[in-house]
Amino acid sequence: MIFRKVMALLLASVLVFAMAACTGGGDSTSGTTTTPSTATAPATTDPATTAPATTDTTTTPADTTTAAPGGEAVLSPDNPTTITIWTTSSESAPAADNKLTKLMKDELGVTLEMEITIPDNVDMRVGTLLAAGEYPDLIGTGDNQLRLLEGGALLRLNDILDSGKYPLLKTHVDPYIKQLSYTGGEVADGFYIFPNYNRYYGEIPGGTHWGTGFWLQKAVLADAGYPNLDNMTIEKYFQLIEDYKTKFPEINGMPTIGFEILSSAGLEWGMTNPPLFLAGQPNNGGVTVDENQNAQIYADKQIAYDWFKYLNEMNAKGLVDQESFTQTYDQYLAKLAGGNVLGMHDQRWNFGQAFDALVERGEIERTWVSLMPVYEGETPYYADRDVMNVQQGMGVSVSCQQVDTVMLFLETMMSERWQVLLSWGVEGEEYLVGDDGMYYRTQEMRDNDNDLTWRASNRLMAFRDQLPKHQGTLDNGNFYGPADSKQEFFDSLQQYDKDFLTAYGKQTWKEFINQPPDNPVYYPCWNIPLSNDAQTANNQMTAAAVSYLPQAIMADPADFDSIWEEYVAEVQMANVALYEQEINDGIQDRITRYSVGN
Amino acid sequence: MRKKLRKLTVENVIFTTLNTTFLLVLAAIMVYPMLNQLAVSFNDALDTVRGGIYLWPRIFSLRNYTVVLNMSSIYAAFVNSVVKMVVTVVTNLVCTSMLAYALSRNEYIWRKPITLVFVLTMYFNAGMIPNYMLMRNLGLLGTFTVYWLPQMISTFNVIVIRTYMKSIPESLIESAKMDGAGEFRVLTQIVLPLCIPTLATIALFVAVGSWNAWFDTFLYNSNKPSLTTLPYELQNLLASAMTAGRNQQGASQAAAAATGASNTTTPASLRAAFTMVTSIPILVVYPFLQRYFVSGLTIGGVKE
Amino acid sequence: MQKSKKSLWTLIKSQWALIVMSVPFLLYRILFSYVPLTGWTMAFQNYKPQIRNMWDQQWVGFDNFENLISGVTSNQFWRDFRNTLGQSVLTLILGYVCAIVLSLLLNEVKNVPFKRIIQNITYMPHFLSWIVVTGLVSTMLALPTSGGIINVVLMKLGFISEPVLFLNDASKFWGIVAGSHLWKELGWNTIIYLAAMTAIDPTLYEAAEMDGANRYHKMWHITLPSIRPTIVILLIMSTGYLLESGFEIQYFLGRGVNAKWAETIDIFVLRYGISQSQYHLATVAGILKTGISVIVVGFVNFIAGRLGSDKLI
Repeated sequence: MIFRKVMALLLASVLVFAMAACTGGGDSTSGTTTTPSTATAPATTDPATTAPATTDTTTTPADTTTAAPGGEAVLSPDNPTTITIWTTSSESAPAADNKLTKLMKDELGVTLEMEITIPDNVDMRVGTLLAAGEYPDLIGTGDNQLRLLEGGALLRLNDILDSGKYPLLKTHVDPYIKQLSYTGGEVADGFYIFPNYNRYYGEIPGGTHWGTGFWLQKAVLADAGYPNLDNMTIEKYFQLIEDYKTKFPEINGMPTIGFEILSSAGLEWGMTNPPLFLAGQPNNGGVTVDENQNAQIYADKQIAYDWFKYLNEMNAKGLVDQESFTQTYDQYLAKLAGGNVLGMHDQRWNFGQAFDALVERGEIERTWVSLMPVYEGETPYYADRDVMNVQQGMGVSVSCQQVDTVMLFLETMMSERWQVLLSWGVEGEEYLVGDDGMYYRTQEMRDNDNDLTWRASNRLMAFRDQLPKHQGTLDNGNFYGPADSKQEFFDSLQQYDKDFLTAYGKQTWKEFINQPPDNPVYYPCWNIPLSNDAQTANNQMTAAAVSYLPQAIMADPADFDSIWEEYVAEVQMANVALYEQEINDGIQDRITRYSVGN
Repeated sequence: MRKKLRKLTVENVIFTTLNTTFLLVLAAIMVYPMLNQLAVSFNDALDTVRGGIYLWPRIFSLRNYTVVLNMSSIYAAFVNSVVKMVVTVVTNLVCTSMLAYALSRNEYIWRKPITLVFVLTMYFNAGMIPNYMLMRNLGLLGTFTVYWLPQMISTFNVIVIRTYMKSIPESLIESAKMDGAGEFRVLTQIVLPLCIPTLATIALFVAVGSWNAWFDTFLYNSNKPSLTTLPYELQNLLASAMTAGRNQQGASQAAAAATGASNTTTPASLRAAFTMVTSIPILVVYPFLQRYFVSGLTIGGVKE
Repeated sequence: MQKSKKSLWTLIKSQWALIVMSVPFLLYRILFSYVPLTGWTMAFQNYKPQIRNMWDQQWVGFDNFENLISGVTSNQFWRDFRNTLGQSVLTLILGYVCAIVLSLLLNEVKNVPFKRIIQNITYMPHFLSWIVVTGLVSTMLALPTSGGIINVVLMKLGFISEPVLFLNDASKFWGIVAGSHLWKELGWNTIIYLAAMTAIDPTLYEAAEMDGANRYHKMWHITLPSIRPTIVILLIMSTGYLLESGFEIQYFLGRGVNAKWAETIDIFVLRYGISQSQYHLATVAGILKTGISVIVVGFVNFIAGRLGSDKLI
């Protein structure tokens, strides 16, 4: 009885939604023709109204009231414009009293209307944006560039750039136009997105190595008499750890932990990546690439076996933390911040909180320095040249009704004045200029920059995140960001660190890591776009790794090989061939497209 | 008097002692997480990273609260959250109790099919994009209406109230009808007053649900800062604290050179402070509703 | 025929007030819950959100269903299906029984302020987000040196001689899930029963006392039967959620080492669906879940009716 009713109702509801589907479909297609909200912005293309405006702007600094040579679009306080932006950023939205948005309004007449979606939610928001088919003027894509692009959200910019009206933007992308152009076939080939990070101008400075390393507590090296770190191997690395642990079984009243492994969800690379670096390969994610540009996964290969087998032996010796695989990321950080962890494989930015906590307590000797062990005969390739972030950035949307104004706005943001405002801040408030013309900050300024409340009122971090940047050296000789400045770096060093560096005859932490060679033209493989099936294979391999590798590491050494075999079998259940095929196709495609002369 | 004395038997004393002890232990276990978050919220964030904060802060700091309370959007978010909660609770109570009453009447001809239509909706979800498109086609995107209109009736609550209403003696309703009362008068003057304990429960469920919901703000109103709500702002704040912690642009070095208490915050510490700031208003609501179902109105008095 | 039509019409006329109280809400529900079900068509499509007319999508028949239950990831899917079911059954039974027991115990407390305070405290964990609760759970389950209080207690009591890494042991994960749920939601879940208990006629207890009934007789023969409709209806409703064991707790407590018993359908959908923008996978899983839920609820409701108990419908 009840079943019949349920069935009847299901049928009825099928009918209802089938009917609704017809009307719904019709509604939404017609919906796309409605005028986007950006139409509220005043028409800026009328020369008659804009021409007097440009002559009227003598009260504002000349270099900010940029008028395009053609005289069509202009940004001036007399000509208020609203620019809408959707962007991905985990930075907080500017406060209502933000001084940079105020400056933008006063100098350029631009009101920014920003919608910011944090990375956790961005997959969902992109889905609804595409489904609705209406976009703000500017789109900061985050990692979803390809979906937005292939979904038809973005405007092809080649012709607009070729108009010659936007020289800074043109210079910004011209040398890399091949890498930056879309060729996937879903929409017209061409340039759509300005990359957000790592398009460098001039010298690339900075003293801290933010990337990968096998980290070792400074006290361990100091205690061993600052041993030579050349030709580092995992055997030497663990010997240092073992000696120190034997000598000091307790630190800060807690048992000394030899080696900590990062394996929490989303950060599994802490556990899975080491074989790559030990084999002298750069960070290509899940694959190694041989001299013939042939990529293959290494998860089930000898280089991985050797490392995990060795780690298993070290575990048997009691050098690996037993809680490595049960702790959360927060607990991992807490361990590191305790000062009793001697070594780990991680990337420097990832354990910043723990590092800072140690520094705050004055336990500088418990912080770490990066080492680069490799297998016999290999050359370390831990540090790479920063790769241009081609998979993120900002573009103009197809819904934009004021393309010239928006492009002019982006061009203005690329000017040195705005680059400094967005990166350093306002002179006298966020930075000072020395007699030599170099920018520097006081401690109070550094502290402010670290303060979320201050940032909301004084910085435009969320806006800047996806915007193109003049990284490297500015025309006035300063560096783009405070972190790049050598002066800033030396000022931040404590006495212990200065002595430590002197003992090794080095001046920066970067000298503890290899000099990055030129990247291969296809590098890095981890951002080669994959089809859904290949991505599924990749996810399956990761799932196998996080499930089996901990067991293998923690196992009795006698059981290691049998667990390893199970693991390899599990890895090979994924469609590895397809995954490798797509990576190799990507490599070949990049070699063909990017190489000089093509 | 005699009754009171009889209660003081040995058995009663043993039971009461055991029961009280058990409840006290249980309460201690249950209060721990909240006290822990309280301690974390008042502890220096970088110090918290070391772990080991249980019931008392180690390095006292108001920094986490300063950051939370200085968020430029927090007051708008607070007002929106309160108004949203109140409107949702009121509309939900009115509509849910009306529908529940109709469905509680055994003589009502469409009782079963309508119940079925509602019950089924508890077990499916059309998905995010279809729901978004519906709100868009209805013109509800970027409006306050989208906060309460889709939440006007919860099937679960309809069933709970209906079940309670069914336990009301039929004779009460019959005699009211004999006196010429229509359905609306029966509902408002006889049935609802008897349902107050359950209505209070439902009000609490709806209030807490509305207060904690962030997804509707995100999905429908994320481009309307004026309609933001507390849980959504919390999410954004935590994300920015996460990046600030990992920021390569000097944050770490700044802290490295700092002396004394730092102004750094971490997601875990901010979350603790925000939990306190957002839980306290709703924790205050509870005791008000509680008197309706602890000391309770009983319908025993009106039973024949 | 004519007669029944007429009588239907008179019925409608006599029940106009009840119709006014329900039919508008019926239409409302259809609009807000059933109309968006057009979205379920994406289960049969290679769905792309930018194609706004659903008929222009690429239709793939039942391919998506086949992929889910017998494709390359089917091993993981069925494993996650089992975990979802196991975890939610355990959570349901434990949470359900404990909430009723706690309600009965609270009901026996005659000291009103004490009762209120206990209630206020026990429902507090409900307000903490899962990320906070799982963080605390994870700490409590750690080794004694990392604040693992549970190991400390168990060792003091002599149940174990060596500390146990609970999260390393996949076989304990279901229990950890059920226990965490209990911790967080127990107090909250008693509210509804306590509200139902307010309807009990105190004269019933007095009459029972006259007959010499003790405390347990009263609980068993008066309190429980009086809240039986609530108990039964809640049980029937919750059987429909046997494939909803949640997402956050498994996401935050799940580790590679316990994945085999930790991962649920929702985690599966996140990994192979949403994170790859394959919206249809979530829909396919949703349709399967709904189908099973409706069958289970219908069946349980039918049994309840056969047993002469209250029914959902």
